[in-house]
Amino acid sequence: MNNNHQIGRIAAFCCNYTASVATDTLREAGLIPESLDVKKLPCTGRIEVRVLLDAFEQGAEAVFVAGCRADECHNLSGSRRAEKRVGYTKKLLKELGIDPDRIEMFFVHYGETQPVVEAVREMTARISKLERLHST
Amino acid sequence: MISGSNLEQVLTSGQFTVTGELGPPQNGNFDVVRDKARILKGHVDAVNITDCQTAIVRMSSLTAGLVALAEGVEPVMQMTCRDRNRIGIQSDILGASALGIKNLLCLTGDHQKFGNHPQAKGVFDMDSIQLLGMVKAMRDDKKFQCGDEIKSHEPRLLLGAAANPFADPFEYRPIRVAKKVDAGASFIQTQIIYNVEKFARFMEIVRDLGLHEKVYILAGVTPPKSVGMARYMKKFVPGLDVTDEVIERLKGAKDPKEEGINICVDIIKQVREIPGVAGVHVMAIGWEQAVPEIVSLAGLSPRPGAQAVEPRLRSSESTELIVSEAKKDAKAEIEKALEQAKAEAQASRDLVVKEKERVTSEISGLKRQAEKDKAIAGQKETEIERLNAELAKTRAGQGHAQALKELAEKRESRALSSRERSALASLRSGLEALSKGLGINEDQLEALRRFFEAEFLLRLDTAEQVTVPSEEAAVPIEEMEKPDAEAETRHKEVINLVAKGNVLLHKNDAAGAIDAFEKALAIEPEEQKASEGLKKARKAYEIARPAEEAAAPEGIPPCPEGLSPEEWQRKWVIRLVARGNVCLHKGDADGALEAFKLALELDPGDEKAKAGLLRAESGEVAPVPVPAEPEVPEKAEVPPTPKPRAAPVTEEVKAEAKKVVPVPAAPTGMEDLSVAELPKEARSLSERAGSIAEDQFTEACTGVIREVSLDEGEKALTVGGASTLPFHLFEGDMPYVPRVAYDVLDSEPEDWPDVLSKYYSDVLSDPVAWARKCIDDYGAEAICLSLVSTDPNGMNRPSSEAAKVAQSVIEGVDVPMILWGCGNAEKDTETLREVTNLVGNRKVCLGPLSDANYRSLGATAMAFQLPVVASTPIDVNLAKQLNILLENLGLSLDQVLMDTSIGAVGYGMEYSYSVMERIRLAALTQQDEKLQVPFICNLGREVWKTKECRLPSDDHLGDQERRGVLMEAVTASTLLLAGGELMVMMHPKAVALAEALIKGMMG
Amino acid sequence: MIIAEQKPLDEILEMISGVEKLLVLGCRGCVAVCSTGGDKEVGVLASALRLGRKKAGKPIEIDEATYVRQCDPEYLEPLKEDGEKYDAVLSMACGVGVNFIADRCPDVNVLPALNTTFYGANLSSGEWAEMCAGCGACVLHLTGGLCPVARCAKSLSNGPCGGSVGGRCEINPDVPCIWHQICEKLTGRKQDQLLREIVPIRDWRPSGHGGPRRRIREDLLP
Repeated sequence: MNNNHQIGRIAAFCCNYTASVATDTLREAGLIPESLDVKKLPCTGRIEVRVLLDAFEQGAEAVFVAGCRADECHNLSGSRRAEKRVGYTKKLLKELGIDPDRIEMFFVHYGETQPVVEAVREMTARISKLERLHST
Repeated sequence: MISGSNLEQVLTSGQFTVTGELGPPQNGNFDVVRDKARILKGHVDAVNITDCQTAIVRMSSLTAGLVALAEGVEPVMQMTCRDRNRIGIQSDILGASALGIKNLLCLTGDHQKFGNHPQAKGVFDMDSIQLLGMVKAMRDDKKFQCGDEIKSHEPRLLLGAAANPFADPFEYRPIRVAKKVDAGASFIQTQIIYNVEKFARFMEIVRDLGLHEKVYILAGVTPPKSVGMARYMKKFVPGLDVTDEVIERLKGAKDPKEEGINICVDIIKQVREIPGVAGVHVMAIGWEQAVPEIVSLAGLSPRPGAQAVEPRLRSSESTELIVSEAKKDAKAEIEKALEQAKAEAQASRDLVVKEKERVTSEISGLKRQAEKDKAIAGQKETEIERLNAELAKTRAGQGHAQALKELAEKRESRALSSRERSALASLRSGLEALSKGLGINEDQLEALRRFFEAEFLLRLDTAEQVTVPSEEAAVPIEEMEKPDAEAETRHKEVINLVAKGNVLLHKNDAAGAIDAFEKALAIEPEEQKASEGLKKARKAYEIARPAEEAAAPEGIPPCPEGLSPEEWQRKWVIRLVARGNVCLHKGDADGALEAFKLALELDPGDEKAKAGLLRAESGEVAPVPVPAEPEVPEKAEVPPTPKPRAAPVTEEVKAEAKKVVPVPAAPTGMEDLSVAELPKEARSLSERAGSIAEDQFTEACTGVIREVSLDEGEKALTVGGASTLPFHLFEGDMPYVPRVAYDVLDSEPEDWPDVLSKYYSDVLSDPVAWARKCIDDYGAEAICLSLVSTDPNGMNRPSSEAAKVAQSVIEGVDVPMILWGCGNAEKDTETLREVTNLVGNRKVCLGPLSDANYRSLGATAMAFQLPVVASTPIDVNLAKQLNILLENLGLSLDQVLMDTSIGAVGYGMEYSYSVMERIRLAALTQQDEKLQVPFICNLGREVWKTKECRLPSDDHLGDQERRGVLMEAVTASTLLLAGGELMVMMHPKAVALAEALIKGMMG
Repeated sequence: MIIAEQKPLDEILEMISGVEKLLVLGCRGCVAVCSTGGDKEVGVLASALRLGRKKAGKPIEIDEATYVRQCDPEYLEPLKEDGEKYDAVLSMACGVGVNFIADRCPDVNVLPALNTTFYGANLSSGEWAEMCAGCGACVLHLTGGLCPVARCAKSLSNGPCGGSVGGRCEINPDVPCIWHQICEKLTGRKQDQLLREIVPIRDWRPSGHGGPRRRIREDLLP
């Protein structure tokens, strides 16, 4: 209800410490596609199921969460919590008849950019195989 | 009886019970149930019909149970709480009861999760324990669960429950069994047992709680069909403990099915040995075919015939079926009968011909027999007359003795030569033999002895022409005997004496004849026949004496007519040798020496006499086997005066003689009581076995029965000690012979048959006199005083009173005593304690100790160091258990006699026998120390209360006394052969027979 | 507290298939504590339903609200009016709330979003277990405070059945055998006499088998 801004076809929720560094680097290099809406979070552990669902509701064809590697989390268990929320969201999607592959959790090592690029590629590849969730 | 079901009857009978299980089909197929029932029929006592077991929908247990019932197989209907609430359950129970179902197993039921309807709502309105309570209240209080009255036809069901010894918490399992028992369970069937050790531990707690006495526990067993099944059960069936051993056995087996059956049989055999296990529950669902084999291999077949298994309901279809089958059968039967009748008609024609021949030959046989009997009768008459005559002589002898005394005084005692002394000795032993042979009592014997001694000395003296004034001496005796003799008896006496005189005269015993006639004349001096006889006799005496003196060698009586002096002498040699041997045997060296010397004087060449003399001189007088020359026939053959071959006796004498034969009651009884000895086996077993090596037919035992001593001192008895099966003296030792105690009742028996009570008629009301009579008259070695008067259901004599009676008996006899209570545990404790307080120092044996009073009486026995009788119903386990309990109490088994309960012949003797035999085998061959205890068999009371002992004599059953005696003797013989060490008996004749058997068997 | 569980979304979608305007109504009572029907869950459910309907090409208008309790009349008062604006009110309260709305607001089409499951406790975050069956005849003083009616698969009254192995229930090794625990506890407290006594058949009327239950306390009645 608070997040009314439109996002692109893929929504990415990124950890402020790790994944966001990568996305910033990529954006500066002009490598982030228009269709990717990156949302920075102080910690992915803060993510709520509702937020993930909202992303879909607001037009995302796919959603991913990129957090720290499990053993490197700044807040110790933040990214692992995020992983469970992603899991619950997958369950809800399934109940709604939506392919749970549209949402995924990725773990990124501090300072690495390649895994983020891989995540974008992976999710793009997944949705390209699926029917469009939103008509336009 | 609670429901009177077959199961209940078998359980209460104490037999090891077998139940089976039948799983109804998952369809409506009648035949499946019927066929399964037929497989199980006759191999189990009842069959559990499962109630949708493992929560899979099947034909209802009530319906399938009725099908089984119609097949004559008694169902145990299972009822779970899973599928019905209290309304449904009570309704089904009423229906089941109405249709003849009598057993109900109350279960909570497997959870529906395990079945094919896991979505079902589990009712569980109550649990199994509450179900038991509910049905029990329906049955016993005639109340529905809500409290409403069941006005009539309350369901009468025997209730059972399940127990799982392998579930957790282990310690709680027996407590749960106790709850089930309290709630109403009469029997318990356990979960399948593979881990016997754990089950035994469970049973231990069960026994500690005393549950085995309140409920019948049936151990659950199942034959594993394959390794797969065993593994599945181990892994997936909660609360089922399949041991690795079972899985290994199945893995290694060539035929796993066969091995599965063997495993099951082994487990049955093992659990059967666990005290408190009343039977097995064989669960072979889907493999019912295995049950008959398992039951048979486990030694549990045949099962007792099913009783009270009656279906109430038959479908009209099945009725029609039965009718049509019956018609078919009847037709076949009629045809068969016709055939048979034809054949029989022909056969009976043949038979008639044969029968005619047989009857003819039988008649001629009977004729022969009759003639023989006549001859025997004649001989007997002669014998009687001879005895008569001897009696007369006896009387006369007393006169002679008097005369002799006077003579001796006159001559200032004339010393007898050693030869004369030995002749006298031989005379004495001859007389003893005679008394045994003829059954003469001591007084008679004494009289005879005096007579013959006197006769002998007189004969010595007559050589010196000393006459003896016999008349004067004889008369007073007659008068003393008959102080108020009436004329008639006098007259008869005279005729009698005259007849005797004539007989004696005829036998060439002139001296005897003279006496008789003189006596007759003393009574009636005018009697003509007597005076004539006297004259003849005196004449004959004068003629005969010189001849006798010439013919008879020194030291032996005159040669009888009809025998050559040589023959007479030879007989005497044999006789003297025999006597010598007897003396040797008894340890009487002097007697032996005299006898052999005498024999050698008569025949210096006699080898046996020489050998005997040698032994006697060398002092070898210890128990040497009596030489092959049998002594018995000698006794019979050599009376002091030989029998005449044929004595012509007048009718008159015969008639009179009969009256003079001693016929008073007691002596006749005694004569009846004598028993022929058991013929001994002349050759030893090894001799008879010929070339067969001894180790081929002997099997030495490894155990030894304990020795238990009754009483102390000279007359103490010890029983037990056997290291071999009863009387297998070729395999081991029986140091103490089995004994017989006489049963004495502490109050006058009201229901004894006359044929028994007549032996004690004078003492029945006085236990002390009764006991003394048993000892003095019948030679009892021990007395069992039965305290029947204390029975609370009978006279209910107070313990203190009964104890005083017992005290007087104990103090009145010197043989070992057994005190046998009335069987009421409490009262016996009271009475027997009272007795021990009164006679604490006498080592009386106390009994019976049962599981109900073993603690209190065991403590008393320990305090006073008394032997006890441990009594149990006919059962190996119960007997062993009581011994264990007694030992746990601190009582040594050296003080225990086992009473495993006795059934008389025809009244369950075979059970007594088989239990005793099994106990004895366990004691001797399996070193079962708890069973190495001697047996006491209180059988007299069992025999004499039977119907057969009470029915009067008739043509069909024969003589009542003979019948009773034989029943008692046969029962005793059987129990002796089963290992019984101490028999308690009643009839003197039966005792004599039993003792003859013991003597004969002991060799 | 009362434990509930959200129904599967497809079932709810099916339930609201003809609904165009929906109120998802949470409850801050038990269901909020057990994370099934509080504010957060209302948001998730509303979002999910919108997504689901959008995907199905039948977008739906959903409002979200959460009441303090749906089982007290004063809190339900606003719904009498507000409720009529919606085609349906999807209650995320326990069954009590749904019933009470139906009772009190006859014109509101109330639908259940949850399955009300049991009376339980929060073992740890995200884990609840049944502890009471609301049977109306408490025996906990006899069983060491552990309820055999609620926690035994067969509601046994007289001790563990033969399926109790190693302290686990036969229906599932994850389920503890409550009777095993009762036995241990009572034995440890030397109250094992209680285990030997036969507990009579229960009167199930107080547990609801006697019909709908009602409790009245005179002194508090208006």
